[in-house]
Amino acid sequence: MADALTLRVITPEKIVIDTTASLVTFPALDGGMGVLPRHAPMVAALDAGQLAFEAEGERQEMFISGGFAEVRDNTVRVVTEASEPASDIDVERAASAAERARDRLRAGRSQADGVNFDFRRAEAALRRALMRKLVADRSRRG
Amino acid sequence: MAGIKELQQRITSVGNIKQITRAMEMVATTKLRRFQDRALCSRPYAEEIGGLVARLSAVLGDAVAERPLFNPGAGERTLALVVASDRGLCGAYNSSLLRTVEAWRAQHELEVDYMVYGRKGFAYMDRRDFQIERFLEDPPLEQIDYANASITARMLVSEFESGKYRDVRLFYTAFESMVKFRPCNVPFLPIAADAFESDGAVASGETLLEPDAAAIFDHLIPKYLETRIFNALLEALTSEYASRRFAMKNATDAADDMQSELRGIYNRRRQEKITKELLDIVGGAEAVK
Repeated sequence: MADALTLRVITPEKIVIDTTASLVTFPALDGGMGVLPRHAPMVAALDAGQLAFEAEGERQEMFISGGFAEVRDNTVRVVTEASEPASDIDVERAASAAERARDRLRAGRSQADGVNFDFRRAEAALRRALMRKLVADRSRRG
Repeated sequence: MAGIKELQQRITSVGNIKQITRAMEMVATTKLRRFQDRALCSRPYAEEIGGLVARLSAVLGDAVAERPLFNPGAGERTLALVVASDRGLCGAYNSSLLRTVEAWRAQHELEVDYMVYGRKGFAYMDRRDFQIERFLEDPPLEQIDYANASITARMLVSEFESGKYRDVRLFYTAFESMVKFRPCNVPFLPIAADAFESDGAVASGETLLEPDAAAIFDHLIPKYLETRIFNALLEALTSEYASRRFAMKNATDAADDMQSELRGIYNRRRQEKITKELLDIVGGAEAVK
């Protein structure tokens, strides 16, 4: 295949994926984005959500916890703190993480003025947990 | 002079110690390898983040210097993160790091708050009334992962933003090779705008930026700081185990030498005794004749 992208998903622990793909989609901050071969150079900030790519006609999905995507020289480099294939997601763990984040948000809200409470972080944690669940559910349904 | 029996006992106890130090050397070697692997695995991420920061700061140009974390804080004091080890028996690892801290403190009397990783560092500094703001012991340094390192990084950033401090520094041991590790003292915050070296890969006008350079940059900077802390901690751990391995190897070798020396003395002593007894017997036999 002359026209193919190299996709590399990089986390601090390891390189999760290093493959070729014909299409890559990821959740940019302003909404979903797709990259085809010969895309113009680009840097995008990512939200937590689903990274999907098509390799040899097969579609694969993974979860990413936010980060950045850089497109350059027909290579998509996704740098993210955590990423796992949809099939590896521990749904129960994600559900309990979501519950914890909700509790924290509730507790923070009832506190007077929410002093010293980082809403943004708790909210981000909640979103990550929900997204993880969503990605897993969606792929399992087929 | 020690008698034959004492010599024998010493040979045995040196042998026991040798066994222990050899076991510790092997443990250190395995752990060292594990941390080295992790350091190696985290490198692509750090390089990618570093590269992005460099390219974006090239796009932003002089505007970079106006970002909040690039300017000295409002406060007077300095915050220092010291990464020492939890356990001893690692040669000069802690003492040479703490010497660096002491040397630096001598020039900045009373204006510094410390955050400390590692029980050994804490014990030392606590005794010598350093202003210890926080002793980071949970989770233990050895179980550090990226998530924990990023919590530490965020904590440093929020302390810096609280307006109490002028700058934040890191003291840790940089790993250069299996036998070379160097205590170092580096500025962490504010970020020096010229710290990023562009690799020249950017053609600024041509790269699409989503949503825009400043927004990406603001997302990127925390990650950049997190990777710096994570790397510093990993390097410190790698150095610690390299240092421990080295110290234990030296101890094992020294025990070896000592054992063979003692055995030499013991053999000579034993021979002397036998010779003497033999002479006695022969002399006695002669006398009877």
